[in-house]
Amino acid sequence: MLFILILFVSLIAQFFLPWGVITPIAFALAAWNGQSEKKSFWNGFSAIFILWVCMALFRSLPNENLLANRVAQMLMLPESDFNWLILVLITGLLGGLVAGTAALAGAAFKKGFFGRRR
Amino acid sequence: MKALKPIFTLFLAVSLTFALNHKWGNIPPLAKFLDPFQGFWKNAESSNTSLELNLNLAGLQSEVNVQFDNQRIPHIFASNNHDLYFVQGFVTARDRLWQMDFQTRFASGRLSEVIGPKALDIDRFQRRMGMTFGAENMMKTMMADPEIADMMNAYAEGINAYIQSLKPEDYPIEFKILDYEPENWTPLNSALLLKMMSATLASGSDEFYMSNILKKYGTEVMKDLFPDYPYREEPIIPVGTAWNFKPIPRPNAPADANVGTNASIRTKQKEEGIGSNNWAVSGKKTVSGYPILANDPHLDLTLPAIWYQIQLINQEQNVYGVSIPGAPGVIIGFNQKVAWGVTNVGSDVLDWYQIQFKDQSHQYYWYNNQWQATKQRIETIQVRGAQAITDTVYYTHHGPVVYLQDQKPGNFAKAKNIPEGYALRWIAHEGSNDVRTFYLLNKANNYDDYRKALSYYSAPAQNFLFATVDNDIAITPNGYFPLKWKGQGKFLLDGANPANEWQGRIPADQNPTVKNPERGFVSSANQFSADPTYPYYLHWEFSGYERGKRINDRLSKMNQITVDSMRNLQNDNYSIFAENVLSAFVNRVNTAKLNNQERNAFNVVSKWNKFYDAKEIGASIFEIWQKLLAKQIWEDEFGDANIPMRYPSRDRTVQLILAEPQSKWFDNVKTPQKEGLNDVLLSSYKLSIDSLTKKYGPMSEKWQWGHVKHSNVPHLAKIAGFGSKTLFNGGSKTSVNALSESNGPSWKMIVALGKEPKAYGVFPGGQSGNPGSFYYDDMLDTWAEGRLNELLYLRSKDQSSERIISTWKFTKK
Repeated sequence: MLFILILFVSLIAQFFLPWGVITPIAFALAAWNGQSEKKSFWNGFSAIFILWVCMALFRSLPNENLLANRVAQMLMLPESDFNWLILVLITGLLGGLVAGTAALAGAAFKKGFFGRRR
Repeated sequence: MKALKPIFTLFLAVSLTFALNHKWGNIPPLAKFLDPFQGFWKNAESSNTSLELNLNLAGLQSEVNVQFDNQRIPHIFASNNHDLYFVQGFVTARDRLWQMDFQTRFASGRLSEVIGPKALDIDRFQRRMGMTFGAENMMKTMMADPEIADMMNAYAEGINAYIQSLKPEDYPIEFKILDYEPENWTPLNSALLLKMMSATLASGSDEFYMSNILKKYGTEVMKDLFPDYPYREEPIIPVGTAWNFKPIPRPNAPADANVGTNASIRTKQKEEGIGSNNWAVSGKKTVSGYPILANDPHLDLTLPAIWYQIQLINQEQNVYGVSIPGAPGVIIGFNQKVAWGVTNVGSDVLDWYQIQFKDQSHQYYWYNNQWQATKQRIETIQVRGAQAITDTVYYTHHGPVVYLQDQKPGNFAKAKNIPEGYALRWIAHEGSNDVRTFYLLNKANNYDDYRKALSYYSAPAQNFLFATVDNDIAITPNGYFPLKWKGQGKFLLDGANPANEWQGRIPADQNPTVKNPERGFVSSANQFSADPTYPYYLHWEFSGYERGKRINDRLSKMNQITVDSMRNLQNDNYSIFAENVLSAFVNRVNTAKLNNQERNAFNVVSKWNKFYDAKEIGASIFEIWQKLLAKQIWEDEFGDANIPMRYPSRDRTVQLILAEPQSKWFDNVKTPQKEGLNDVLLSSYKLSIDSLTKKYGPMSEKWQWGHVKHSNVPHLAKIAGFGSKTLFNGGSKTSVNALSESNGPSWKMIVALGKEPKAYGVFPGGQSGNPGSFYYDDMLDTWAEGRLNELLYLRSKDQSSERIISTWKFTKK
């Protein structure tokens, strides 16, 4: 549930707001609806990982990955035919890490301040 | 204790968010940059860009229609000048906003504002050279001309209308990498970019070196090795052309004009960087009976492309050509009646004046036997991530004192030829209305319009080539040429003596010019404007004559000329320099002293056809050989570590080899034995084979000139991955196709005039400045292969063409 919530709320919010909005979204939703800290982390992580990977592919595939390959060179990734894909994964990992950490904090807040209400 | 974990994890999440939103050193704000919604992925353009668009904009006066062809070149149909230049600004910004922003910042010394303290030396340099001072003066002149003021303002409004339509996610990718925002455009920015053309093309200055040489070797050696007219030359105005004017009085040189120097730094040999060509042939020599005009201006190539192609149409004009992103109108192009092109004139429009200050406060300087007050200009440089810095520049009536004593940064290449304690007198500081020249050329109908347009032009001086459908062809080395005594500014000058100053200008209508010469063509390749019969002094040295001679040789022999024969000439890799010296080189080498490897290579270079084609191994050997030879001849005398000097010219070196083989200059004064020409030829030959072997292994395909030369087109800010691949291309500085590593033809154009003009062109890059666009470098291969694209010249907005891929309609709000 938390996974789907974070994914959809972030998807809509990111059309209007800067990327950093995923931190309060993941935090608030986990504080409201999170389960264990570990589960919340993975829910937050995978929601944004999937969201960002899909969105990056949506932008990059019609571009035949032209720009992704150039940016991969700029970031000095080792040369290969799959550079663009590695960049897509890095994008997902980075977004996922931020959202996961925020969701973890949300769950910790819930546990620490609001008590266990299973 | 229970509260510690939530607080700690929240702190972690928040810090992670901020850290990934911040630019650390050279690393862009990572998550902000990689965010697929608003980060760089947003700049990835779809391969399908055909689009019908309606734009409703405040500031327009009526409807404007823009058609983009299959290279995304805009063809703008407007009903008045204001709307035409407004939309030119809008579409140029759409494609080139970051390039325009970055170049303006570079010009005005404002890079530190966005990239931090590492740009401080370059920012200080640009400001101390007076770039903004010059642009401000230019603004005063342009804004006093109502038509030009309207043009500049409309163009700026169009750019701003585009900028205001952007959200941060729409910014060009470089803004996201460097993490800053575009700012509103002003006409001053356009002036800065126009003045940058002078900085690129007319800021060369050897007088510091020349004064050092004069001091060390004296007048006789100076006259011998650095003469005021070359050994071999084919001036732009053909020898024998009559000067149809009565010259005004020319000043005489004062008794002791030149001053000594206090050299303490080391410089490197000045590289010959410019290789532009243009020519026009009369209808007598063409198949069609109408003139054909060709132009390829050479510059340091960069991506995004230096030029932006555009067609501008309203009731007054229908002009096609290339524009400078950041300035309105067309700079090189054609219309129904005429075509024009430019190459650089290397006239001396920059001089250094020694300043004697009254005291360390620098408030007064000695001039004309009295103390004069300096003016101070306080430059405030904003620095990203650090305190702002202020820098005071002292201006004399000559111009700014670029570096005071001990003020020059030690390890800064751009400043190496600049003497400390000298004021800079430079044409780029003058108010000028160069834009009017192009404004008038864009709508010119005939030769008289051309002459009128040229009279407004100041700098950087250009060889304005011109052809009309009425079968007139002409060329004019044109610009503001200061009236000087012969040799004035060859050396550093004493700034206290009024006789050393520029004495006004050569009257604009007395600039060298030729119309419809007997030989049936006009041409230029940066060489001397005119032979010594021209009554005024322009400079003591211009670029070598080799390209000019090759063009003239070929054109003289050609008849029944077509566009294709012109295209072949633009791509010509033959070297007149090699023709002049190769046999002398080869005949003087004692082959008995060569080992096997050297002998094999010697056979190759001996049989070389003197074409710098990409596959020629002989070209690689010869090129490195001649370079090392020049070094061996001159380095011992002119390579002093403490006194910056330069070598004599290639022309003088050739003369020495061919006509004075016994010259003492061949001897290496640093060795006890006496070397002659044959000795230095042998040792430089052995050295060149050695250096090729070290770098590329034993002689093989890897020695081919295309591999050795390593041509490529880098990104403007040298961002890795955003430049071109390495190209396998021929050409050399002494060939018509003067493509070196990354200096080369920035635009190639051929226009065949006629009832309907037919034109061809290409530049190394594309219309879009976005590395994520298919139009970023779509013309690069065509350019590299020496082919040209036919240019789509539309007559009306209703004319249908299968090459039109998208149409934009602008209406006023």
